[in-house]
Amino acid sequence: MSAPLIELDRVSRTYTTPAGTITAVDDVSLQLGESETICIVGESGCGKTTTGRMLAGLLRPSSGRLLFEGADVWEKKGNDLARFRRAVQLVHQDPYASLNPTRTIAQTLAPPLAKHKKAHGRAARAAMTSLLERVGLTPPADFLLKYPHQLSGGQRQRVSIARALTVDPRVIVADEAVSMVDVSIRISLLDLLHNLATEFHVTTVLITHDLAVARYFAREGRIAVMYLGKVVELAATEPLVSDPAHPYSTALIAAIPEADPTITRTKKRVALRGAEVPSLLNLPPGCVFHPRCPLSEPGLCDVVVPTLGDLPGGRSVACHVALRERQPAAELLGVR
Amino acid sequence: MPVLSVRDLSIEYRTRRGPVQAVRDVTFDLEQAETIAIIGESGSGKTTLAVGLIRLSPRSARVTKGEIRYDDGKRAFDVLSLDAERLRRFRWADCAMVFQAALSAFNPVINIWEQFLDTARAHGMGDKHKVHDRTRELLDLVHLDPKRVLTAYPHELSGGMRQRVLIAMALLLDPRIVILDEPTTALDILTQRAIIDLLRELRGRLGFSTIFISHDLSIAAELADRMLTMYAGRVVERASVDDLFYRPRHPYSVGLMRAVPRVSGAVGSVVSIPGSPPDLIRLPRGCSYYPRCPFHIDQCLAEDPPLLRVDTPNHEAACIRWEAVAAALGSDAEAPVAEKLA
Repeated sequence: MSAPLIELDRVSRTYTTPAGTITAVDDVSLQLGESETICIVGESGCGKTTTGRMLAGLLRPSSGRLLFEGADVWEKKGNDLARFRRAVQLVHQDPYASLNPTRTIAQTLAPPLAKHKKAHGRAARAAMTSLLERVGLTPPADFLLKYPHQLSGGQRQRVSIARALTVDPRVIVADEAVSMVDVSIRISLLDLLHNLATEFHVTTVLITHDLAVARYFAREGRIAVMYLGKVVELAATEPLVSDPAHPYSTALIAAIPEADPTITRTKKRVALRGAEVPSLLNLPPGCVFHPRCPLSEPGLCDVVVPTLGDLPGGRSVACHVALRERQPAAELLGVR
Repeated sequence: MPVLSVRDLSIEYRTRRGPVQAVRDVTFDLEQAETIAIIGESGSGKTTLAVGLIRLSPRSARVTKGEIRYDDGKRAFDVLSLDAERLRRFRWADCAMVFQAALSAFNPVINIWEQFLDTARAHGMGDKHKVHDRTRELLDLVHLDPKRVLTAYPHELSGGMRQRVLIAMALLLDPRIVILDEPTTALDILTQRAIIDLLRELRGRLGFSTIFISHDLSIAAELADRMLTMYAGRVVERASVDDLFYRPRHPYSVGLMRAVPRVSGAVGSVVSIPGSPPDLIRLPRGCSYYPRCPFHIDQCLAEDPPLLRVDTPNHEAACIRWEAVAAALGSDAEAPVAEKLA
């Protein structure tokens, strides 16, 4: 990959709670190239949203750096910082909460256009029309004067994307951007986000708990799987989905129900040793997955913290056993 | 002999703009020990139907016609004709409902044991020791540790544990029917898997019938024996789970199948359904799916088609174009719809 456009360099984020300090994100590194699609996948509490917010520069890492075009974002000031703010945009999960209910779509889109592009009057209207066309809200004239409550969830999410596009971003971070819209239209929203990457060279990061959505969206890109604050696997999408390297990703993929009665009822499962997810307040020593992991080896996994290492095929995995055997966990567990 | 027979059930909501016809002429039978999954987009009427079956609809809702016949072999009655007291006993004792595992499904200020005791007392189980034994037995059945759970308050439990408690509570009075509304929606993948496996195990062991509302086709594929597809308040297809997934005949069922991305197998061609569901206050003329349907012809505007028998006696679809749908999908028995149309 050429020099990354945006990069998380060993970032961690801790929070102090009345019950103690928790590390929501622990030593995560991620390099994203121009027009790349990547999904951050994991269950609730794994740190994917915190990671996304740090990537968007909305949350300062407790340690580590956020780099944009090679420069530390949190060292930036003035125009430099404003340029970064424009370059990275966030699309939120809930289109019912992220749009101001008292503003029409035109009133939502106009201020950023005026501020960042000096587009007023007729120029602003032309820009809004082309933005709405780009996000599939056609004919645009039908939408400009509408309020959010007059739109469906999917349409609102398109408005959110249009709003992010007002400033010509280089990176879009979409946090569970499709999980609140109906199944029947999810794909069209994913296609829209995907087009931003392929046609407009926007780097698109989708944060999701749904691996099927991740596989579809990042089909030419990569997936990062997170568990309890750490990236446990990072690889190109198809190898990760068909032959996961980390025992946790393997268990997740084996557990997903499929919209196909025969496949879903005969799918091979991975039996975990424990069902309970450890608390972030009291993380197990060694590999955080070891108390549940069917491959766990006493004396190794419960003692030494694994770091991401490379397996053949350009995949990174943080698993002592997979790395030593030079085989993905899916093979070691016989669920390929 | 079906345990529940629903005939021509129609439910509307009163609104300022006029009546919303949320459920229209729904007819189906639920057999003993059978699981029926009802699928459809939000606004298709599936939740209105489910809560309507135990008459738990909000006050703005009104059943305009139809019959909900319950028959467990010993007692038989029309749920719609029950007086308040008999309705109260029917709910939970004969037909229980499990909602999404939200905190709001519980009373937040009493612990789990008191929730069980409350429910038991409301249904005349006065003997505290008996209730206690039954509760422990049920918590064992849903793989929870009674010692840990009984004294806990709802907010102290994880989403998965709450869902297990709700399932255990639904089974307290040994109902013949359990209605599940999106039972795994807010849960993580591994927790969701555990709940699906639990439901399958309990159903096999206790033999109750299940009606399951979900927008998630994959959970239906896991658990259903038969499926109903709902669109704009109507059942537009009724089929066995295999027929619906491999040989759908209503274009809307086909559209739903094609809209779902998959984790295993070929990626296939995944596409959304264009457009949005119709306004249930002003329903369009003819078939309500017409504006979104790739198979439509002018004749579809003539009338809202009734359920027609297709392929086999146990498979019905409300589409005059079902043969064209069948031809487009071809005869390859078990390939996923998305691959057939790729």
